[in-house]
Amino acid sequence: MRPRWQKVLSDIWDNKVRTLLVVLSIAVGVLAIGVIAGAYVIISHDMSVSYAAKNPANIEIRMDDFDEDFLNTLRDFDGVADVEGRRVFGMRARRVGDTAWKVLDIVAFKDFKANTINLLEPVRGVPAPEKGQIVLEKTVLEEISIAVGDELEVELPDGTTRRLEVVGVVLDSSTSAADFLAAPLAYITLDTAPSLGQPELYNRLYATLSEGQDDDAHIRAVFADLKDTIEKSGYDVGLTRRSKTHEHPLASIVNAVLGILMALGVLIVFLSSSLIANTLSALLQQHMRHIGVIKLIGGRNRQVFLMYLSLIFAFGVMALLIAVPLGGQGAYALAQFIADQMSFSLLGYRIVPISFVIQIAIGMLVPLVAGFVPVVRGTRVTVLQAISGDALRLQAGGPTRWERFQLRVTQALARRGIHVPRPLLISLRNTFRRRGRLALTLFTLTMGGAIFISVFNVRVTLNEYVRQVGNYFLADVTLDFERPYRLDEIRQYAMRLDGVTWVEGWAYASAEILYPDGTVADNINILAPPANSGLVSPLMISGRWITPQDRQKLVISEGIFDYYPDLKVGDTLPLKINAREEAWEVVGIFKFIGVEGILGYAPYEYIAAEQNLARRSYSYRLVAERHDRAYQKQLADRAAQAFRDWGFHVREAVPGLSTLDDASESLDILVTFLLIMALLTAVVGAMGLAGTMSMNVLERTREIGVMRAIGATDSAVMRMVITEGTLIGVISWGLAVVLSVPITYLLATIVSLAVFNTPITIVFTPLGYIIWIGLVLLLSAVSSVLPARNAARLTIREVLAYE
Amino acid sequence: MQPIIELRNVVKVYSSPAGDYEALHGINLEIYPGEFFGILGKSGAGKSTLLNMITGVDRLTSGEVIVRARGREVSVHTLGENALALWRGRTIGVVYQSFQLLPMLNLLQNVMLPMDLCGDYHPRRSRERALELLRRVELEEHAFKPPAFISGGQQQRVAIARALANDPPILVADEPTGSLDSVTADHIFDFFEELVAEGKTIVMVTHDHGLMPRFDRYVRIVDGQLAEDPVEEVAV
Amino acid sequence: MSETPLLERRAADVGAPLIEMRDIVKTFRNAAGEFTVLKGINLTVRRGEFVSVIGKSGSGKSTLLNMLTGIDHPTSGKVIVDGVDVYAMNESQRSLWRGRNLGIVFQFFQLLPMLTLLENVMLPMDYVGMYDFAERPERAMELLRMVGLEEHAHKLPQAVSTGQQQSTAIARALATDPPIIVADEPTGNLDTRASDRIIELFSELSRQGKTIVMVTHDPMMTRRTSRTVILTDGEVVNEAVAKALPLLPHPMMREVERRAEKRVYSPGELILRAQAPVEHFFIIVSGTVEVLHRRAGARTWRVAKLSAGDFFGEIELLRGGKAIASVRAADDGPVEVLVLSRQDFHWLMERSVLTEEAITRIVQQRLEEGRRARRPQGGILGGLFRREK
Repeated sequence: MRPRWQKVLSDIWDNKVRTLLVVLSIAVGVLAIGVIAGAYVIISHDMSVSYAAKNPANIEIRMDDFDEDFLNTLRDFDGVADVEGRRVFGMRARRVGDTAWKVLDIVAFKDFKANTINLLEPVRGVPAPEKGQIVLEKTVLEEISIAVGDELEVELPDGTTRRLEVVGVVLDSSTSAADFLAAPLAYITLDTAPSLGQPELYNRLYATLSEGQDDDAHIRAVFADLKDTIEKSGYDVGLTRRSKTHEHPLASIVNAVLGILMALGVLIVFLSSSLIANTLSALLQQHMRHIGVIKLIGGRNRQVFLMYLSLIFAFGVMALLIAVPLGGQGAYALAQFIADQMSFSLLGYRIVPISFVIQIAIGMLVPLVAGFVPVVRGTRVTVLQAISGDALRLQAGGPTRWERFQLRVTQALARRGIHVPRPLLISLRNTFRRRGRLALTLFTLTMGGAIFISVFNVRVTLNEYVRQVGNYFLADVTLDFERPYRLDEIRQYAMRLDGVTWVEGWAYASAEILYPDGTVADNINILAPPANSGLVSPLMISGRWITPQDRQKLVISEGIFDYYPDLKVGDTLPLKINAREEAWEVVGIFKFIGVEGILGYAPYEYIAAEQNLARRSYSYRLVAERHDRAYQKQLADRAAQAFRDWGFHVREAVPGLSTLDDASESLDILVTFLLIMALLTAVVGAMGLAGTMSMNVLERTREIGVMRAIGATDSAVMRMVITEGTLIGVISWGLAVVLSVPITYLLATIVSLAVFNTPITIVFTPLGYIIWIGLVLLLSAVSSVLPARNAARLTIREVLAYE
Repeated sequence: MQPIIELRNVVKVYSSPAGDYEALHGINLEIYPGEFFGILGKSGAGKSTLLNMITGVDRLTSGEVIVRARGREVSVHTLGENALALWRGRTIGVVYQSFQLLPMLNLLQNVMLPMDLCGDYHPRRSRERALELLRRVELEEHAFKPPAFISGGQQQRVAIARALANDPPILVADEPTGSLDSVTADHIFDFFEELVAEGKTIVMVTHDHGLMPRFDRYVRIVDGQLAEDPVEEVAV
Repeated sequence: MSETPLLERRAADVGAPLIEMRDIVKTFRNAAGEFTVLKGINLTVRRGEFVSVIGKSGSGKSTLLNMLTGIDHPTSGKVIVDGVDVYAMNESQRSLWRGRNLGIVFQFFQLLPMLTLLENVMLPMDYVGMYDFAERPERAMELLRMVGLEEHAHKLPQAVSTGQQQSTAIARALATDPPIIVADEPTGNLDTRASDRIIELFSELSRQGKTIVMVTHDPMMTRRTSRTVILTDGEVVNEAVAKALPLLPHPMMREVERRAEKRVYSPGELILRAQAPVEHFFIIVSGTVEVLHRRAGARTWRVAKLSAGDFFGEIELLRGGKAIASVRAADDGPVEVLVLSRQDFHWLMERSVLTEEAITRIVQQRLEEGRRARRPQGGILGGLFRREK
């Protein structure tokens, strides 16, 4: 091999720690991008493919009970490829022997073998239960610890229980795909239903279309016709849902989350490139003498430049060797995790060519770009600077403005009799000596810190928003009955329960929002609390809240803007309610999570009268003297038990905050992702700091020797280095505090737009700031301890001989 | 005979915040082909600066350095950086007190490096030539060791072999024996005398007046000027 | 100024041994093998001495200095400074000890570039915790005033000349008022004018009672020192030989020492008898001898006294013939001499032309003085027989 390439090879091999540092800094960025890009591609492809593979219903209609005959009349419906009927009902269930009940949505099939829509994927045991058996959806196992072969105890509305044998576990990616908060599912045959007090009739219709499965307008048109037909046949239609075949209902959320992760990945690439730039410029600093010798004996700039460029290239290749395989694995693991969370399955491990290409591009380009300036600068060094080994001393020029400023400050203090101890002064001034390096280090550490802090802010922002959403659900217990009861009666009984201070009966109506041309835009759930209810504390955007006198007037959630972007208070909105088209006046608009479609409020007084349920209600809200979760749960259990004992047909009693808990939980997954990314950036930052500190120590070896020669002990030397590291940490914290504000806004807005379809109010918490100052102090101390110990270990002879 | 190296009124000024410092005050000097030429002076006198002017390692402030070698007359400081590097690589072999071998290369590769960089020899030929040179300095057996595995005197011999790699007519040495014990230093000197006998021109800087008798000719430099009487100052 | 004097005079104990180096061996090991830089050095420096250590590059003088300052470990041997065994301490203790007891001046100044001159001078006091915190700036300023840099006190080192940087380094070395100053070629990187100033500063410190050990190449500096130690290839040259034969290359001095026979004469003992054949060249290592010239009559004259570093016997060896005077050990103590055979003396004359010339000059002078001495009005002769500088 020619000597100059041999030198490049030796430069890589001889200083393994440095090589490792550079290779790892490149690999970190490449890995992050590889994992995220790979997961992005896998998820966005597999999510829709695996969703579509289950033949998801394009139309789901919840309606009055119907039988097989009626279903058969719909089979040849124009535009419909296939229909299936099912019965879905909520039940409390638990493993035999457990004490706590969980609510399950039980799905009854006529014939599992004839199942063609919303296909189930077997996981364990048999996928099709016999009479008296039950199959569980995978998510049930997160709620109830139960295995195939165990018995599940189901509670009937009258309080009696039935036991069903668990024979299998399945994955159902479609049935409640759109609903984060839906209860877990379980499957029985329709002939098992009677034993659970349910008729052998369907109450849900699932349909797939013969064409245009991914065309929203077409789906809507077929849906409108279908619904019309159903209603004309005398069935009432409740909640309906439409979805495309090849688009998972949550795809946009997942993509948004991956998008955020991608942005952070790009950021990590930036940070790692500043790390690379730092390390490479230190490397060239150390190689100054070699470059000088090469030039002395005939080497030209281009030759030196090429040698170091190929060195960087080699670093890039090594980083890729680490990061590419790891990135592939990581991408699949991340995709698998998300798929598990979202209840769909991946198509199997594979290499994603595009992420492969991106990784290679980044692994090659980033180090070349980051190393370009240091290499050019190092190459330009003259023989004299290089041989004298002290380019700095030869760089003539007076003190810089910063140095003059520092001197003036010290002098001003000295004149007031305040003398900074010189060892501390050394740390302070050393910190600012390599300003380029300091800037890069601060950049990485600050970004890491700012993101870290922001993630905490985003977390409380989301939680705060969820809590505000809780303002719509202020009741401690929601008590639903199978049939309507008189308000007075329920109130009388309820007040007999310990701790209950207030009872309200609410009404509910389901309607459709129409476009001006009469086609259906979306469903709307109209909740009807008493107008003077204290249990809703809405976040009004405009207009007013409901009054008892309102007739055909409603307050509507801002989700309406998706359909009527210019809607103002006072406008009328065409609604189809109880199969009648009516024009309702919008009297107010409020903020709300948009997941479950559009929500409206109208006074109980009007809705109940319209439904012939005046002074009666299916649904009651109880307020208790205590509002903590434990108490709410306990009260819910007591209320359900007591009302059953009194002979009421209780459907369920749900503690108030439990819905919120579910919502927070799914948000927590997101926050955890963000936090992992933040920690990764923090680690990159800490690596940068450690690199900087060891380079500083290496460069100042001679000075450290002098300090020891004039009396500095080991601890004095270590203190000097650690002080400098800590100072950098504290400065970066200060900068991170400032930078965290815009980053919090950015992250929170992206997340809330992705998850809630609405920007939300940003809330700040001191927690992130406090944790980060602690963490950054720890990180900077740790990352300077090692260089400091190395510094202290140098004997003075080594140091003064160090040229 | 025309001088191989000619310095005309060479001035070097270093600027620093503490003010300008004139390290060389107009040096005129002629060195002839085949001479073993000494530049003597204590440290700080400007002798290394003078040497750097000849090799083009440092820029002069005013004056001119002319080198006539390999059939070319070159005014050193009119060359651009790259041209200078190539010209120096072919024309002047440089030896420093601190050897300046590249630690990550073995001795053979160190000696091959100048040929690799200047491209005057085919890679295979350059390997043979490097081995020959190592044989000349009696280090052939160590050819595949890194510099750290041989003694200081041996390292200096490798440095000389490297300086001879492109067969330059001029050899310039800055305190080449400064870090060596007296016996080793003697060997180096003997080798220089051999080279001079073969027709090389050697310019050597030293602070050791004891070496005076071994030069064909020498000048003494004091505070940036050539001293009038070259002999008087005697080793203590 | 505070009550504490800037530099404490240490008149007491002048002349007592302050630094003792015993059998110091230093071997460096690397992949190339072992290399012994110091081959058993014994050296005693007394309080108040101003010692220069000279030797060629590579002779081991910087290593010797490192042994003294505790900067580097000897392979074997002991260094005792003011009763403290330097290498019985750990590295940290030694740093503290060094800060209090040694002021070190480096060839390349080694000021910390991020501190002003004043702060540089204060730093050692901070490190070793000497003087009140509030007193330190004042003391540092006094030291800078002493070296003439008061007006530059608030500048950074890069903003002053190299000579001023070295002056600052000296001020820093004095910050903790250590009894010993160690300097490694302090004028090595300075021009003549700056060197003069530094030399003046060291002379002043010596007058104030500091013990100074300095490696130097500079003859201007060695002229000011009270004693010169020559190091060659890791060994100390016998100081008497060096003084007697200064023009000899250092390795030759060692060779002379090796070839010579050591003899000790008791007080009053006759070493050479006049008119007896002379077969040896004598170099006095310690003690005093008297040169006695026999006049034509029977009376003897005391002609001259010779002491350490002087030699005799050369006239007879060069000119041939018998001793022209008697030489005997003085009555005040024993005399130690190094004795070189006739053969070795001629070997010496052949190898060193400069030495031969110098000795020939001295022979002529002595013969001239001898002739004058034989005349009664010969005048005062004491000291004239001494070696010419």
